[in-house]
Amino acid sequence: MKRSILHPLGAFLMLLASFSLFAADELMVTDPWMRAAPPNAPALALFMGLENHSSSDIILVEAKTTIPGARVELHRTVMADGMMKMAQQSEIKVASHQSVMLEPGSWHIMLIGPDHVPTAGEKVGVTLTLKSGVEQKFEAVVRKGKMMMNSGHGHHNH
Amino acid sequence: MKQRFNDLLRGGVVRSLILVTGFILLLGCEHSSEPPPTEGAIILPESRKVPQFELLHHGSSGFTNTDLKGKWSFFFYGYTHCPDVCPTELFNLAEMLRQLETAGVAEAELPQVVFVSVDPQRDLPEGIQRYVEFYHPRFKGVTAEQGRVDQLARSMGAIYEKVYYMGGKALVIGQDETIPDALKDTYLVNHSATIFLLNPEGELHAIFTTPHMPDAMVRDLKVIQQSGQF
Repeated sequence: MKRSILHPLGAFLMLLASFSLFAADELMVTDPWMRAAPPNAPALALFMGLENHSSSDIILVEAKTTIPGARVELHRTVMADGMMKMAQQSEIKVASHQSVMLEPGSWHIMLIGPDHVPTAGEKVGVTLTLKSGVEQKFEAVVRKGKMMMNSGHGHHNH
Repeated sequence: MKQRFNDLLRGGVVRSLILVTGFILLLGCEHSSEPPPTEGAIILPESRKVPQFELLHHGSSGFTNTDLKGKWSFFFYGYTHCPDVCPTELFNLAEMLRQLETAGVAEAELPQVVFVSVDPQRDLPEGIQRYVEFYHPRFKGVTAEQGRVDQLARSMGAIYEKVYYMGGKALVIGQDETIPDALKDTYLVNHSATIFLLNPEGELHAIFTTPHMPDAMVRDLKVIQQSGQF
């Protein structure tokens, strides 16, 4: 009797697990990096490419890192009224078969008030939470900043 | 060149005070002689005086107009809580300075780079200096009481505004408005990313609008230096 109850539950959990794995694989994270910052920097930024190879939209709703003390927010820099404006985002949507570049001067993940500022070469653990509930974990390497908009600005229209 | 200048001015009209400055610049444009060819820099038809200023600088008794005499100075306005734009621009300026050093420019001839924090509420002089030295040991990080910073910034055409977020929505709070306690330290600062070049007379000489390419800035600086009587 017991077995007949456990069995479908187990199967369901397995299905759920495999689905998660599959869904997580669909968001491809490329070249995740954190910009090296002054030791007393009150804010840090995390960049990466997000590619969605699936047939449905993927929505990033939350990011966490292994850096203690930091509040993590999703942000986008936009040029408006002659100023570079920081806009907090509730989510970052990666449309089906599209990609979004998190890069200087554009989308980024912002860490506010880190207890420790990592130095170039260090690795930072990152967990992205998608709207589907799926979590994706990976490491971002810390490196010195490259230039903003050097490849021509406004070319990533999403 | 004039078109770019007009674009820049249009972006700035949100601040009425800047409008006045812009008008003066625009008037200047009308009777300009041909400026030397530059890639990213916009040379002012006539260099413009900046008001008397006295900024706090860690490690010295202060930074004033006198410190501009005899050398070229790049000014950038930002704040250390800046996650994206300031680190990028400080990196660009550091890269520019490294290129000049590598090219063998004598120490006395190197321009100085001044980062002015427009956020003295959170940025203390010591912290600002530590912050900018990470990008280049020659950088100077300065600030002052808010009103003084605002006056200097406006005289050059730098603009900025504080933004608070409440429940995921941005609120722009004017200088005369009261800030809710819970939000006091959480604000971001939207700001122009223009870099200002002052000549050895301590007058505003050229502006560099975004995007900034360090190698182009090096070339523009050379063109500007060779075209002047400094």
